[in-house]
Amino acid sequence: MSEHARFEKLVMPHLTAGYNLARWLARDGHDAEDIVQDACMRALKYIDSLNRADARAWFLTIVRHAFYDWCERNRPAEIARDDGSAIENAVDAGATDPEQAAVRRSETRVLAEAIAELPLAFREVLILRELEDLSYKEIARVADIPVGTVMSRLARARALLQGSPRLRAIREPISGGDR
Amino acid sequence: MKCEHAQPLVAAYADGELDGIRRHSIQKHLRTCARCAAAHADILALRARLRSEVPYFAAPPGLQERVRVMVATTPPVRTRASASRWPWASGGARNGGAAAVRARWQWMSSGALAGCAATVLAFVVGTSVLDWRTEHDLANEAVASHVRATLDHRLIEVASSDRHSVKPWLSERLDYSPPVRDLAAGGYPLLGGRLTMLEGRQVATLVYGYRKHTIDVFVQPETRDAPPLRELRGFNVAHVNGAGWDWLAVSDAGPEILDAFLRELVHEASLP
Repeated sequence: MSEHARFEKLVMPHLTAGYNLARWLARDGHDAEDIVQDACMRALKYIDSLNRADARAWFLTIVRHAFYDWCERNRPAEIARDDGSAIENAVDAGATDPEQAAVRRSETRVLAEAIAELPLAFREVLILRELEDLSYKEIARVADIPVGTVMSRLARARALLQGSPRLRAIREPISGGDR
Repeated sequence: MKCEHAQPLVAAYADGELDGIRRHSIQKHLRTCARCAAAHADILALRARLRSEVPYFAAPPGLQERVRVMVATTPPVRTRASASRWPWASGGARNGGAAAVRARWQWMSSGALAGCAATVLAFVVGTSVLDWRTEHDLANEAVASHVRATLDHRLIEVASSDRHSVKPWLSERLDYSPPVRDLAAGGYPLLGGRLTMLEGRQVATLVYGYRKHTIDVFVQPETRDAPPLRELRGFNVAHVNGAGWDWLAVSDAGPEILDAFLRELVHEASLP
């Protein structure tokens, strides 16, 4: 099979997954399109190295790399900020007035915004797990971190979202319990 | 199972990551421990909300089309001109067997230099440049080098804004010592340099930035009259003689920018 045929067969079906990831990482549609196009070029170049069973995780790995390269170039501060020090306040930062926010925005928006405000390292594992439905092992490979780190970041991402004042302003804590 | 052992596994259980035995123990534990059961319910509830309320962004229709066009106009890797001439293009993933390659996908952490928009532009333009091997004048080769370097993330082999480290790096590898000036004050910071094969000889290539653009400047001793500025396959090319050197600049920045940049560069180079 030619490279082009392999690309069409193995990568194109995952274009939307790649775009969704890029869109959540970059938080902008146009930037996400640039990132996905760059990723596709890289994917084509290295298509020979693709084991077909892995196509989705493989392509998402490339998209993620394309994003970080893009980010380094266009928003270096965002990567620098993700050193863990700002994590405690990350979700709270934008929620200056949760009550008003609740009136203004639909619930959908609020949850999406809370995710968008997660620090990059947590946002990416959450998106890969909950929206792309990847296993811990696949996430570890895509994000190039150990499985243990996947688990701890995922736990932190969930805790941040569950504790987000934005979400609390709209609903009682999800389980109804106060932990 | 004790709660302290169960707690760290609750999330893994909710994520379907536990094997049969541990899955069974957690199930049992959740029936008797309200705290772990609540944690489990929280994860499921959050997941339900995530999957029902949060948008899953579908690729815009135009994107799919653009990608297909890009792919269709890219020559296959094996026959690409760069494969044999540019050693980095043959490294890493393509050579090894599937096992070696799948081992780690490490190649993907390479190069972060090229801006995405510039890369995409270079790509669209570049594919035609690569097929364009019948004409071999200097400007063609320079544009092709700029495109290849951008695509391969190899614009810069020696990264430095310090001309005192770029110059010796180039001089060591060439039979001449090119003038290297930093124009950061004028808005064109020096990003680094590389070597380029033009018309069969190694040429010093200085890489400058201008906003989001990169400018390649190929510098060699002056040997002929430089033809005037022109546009080549979507890139702007400026070519001047000055201070005893032949300066050829290639960029996706506008012609007037390139012109002003080269004027300033030549002026700086003529200063002692």
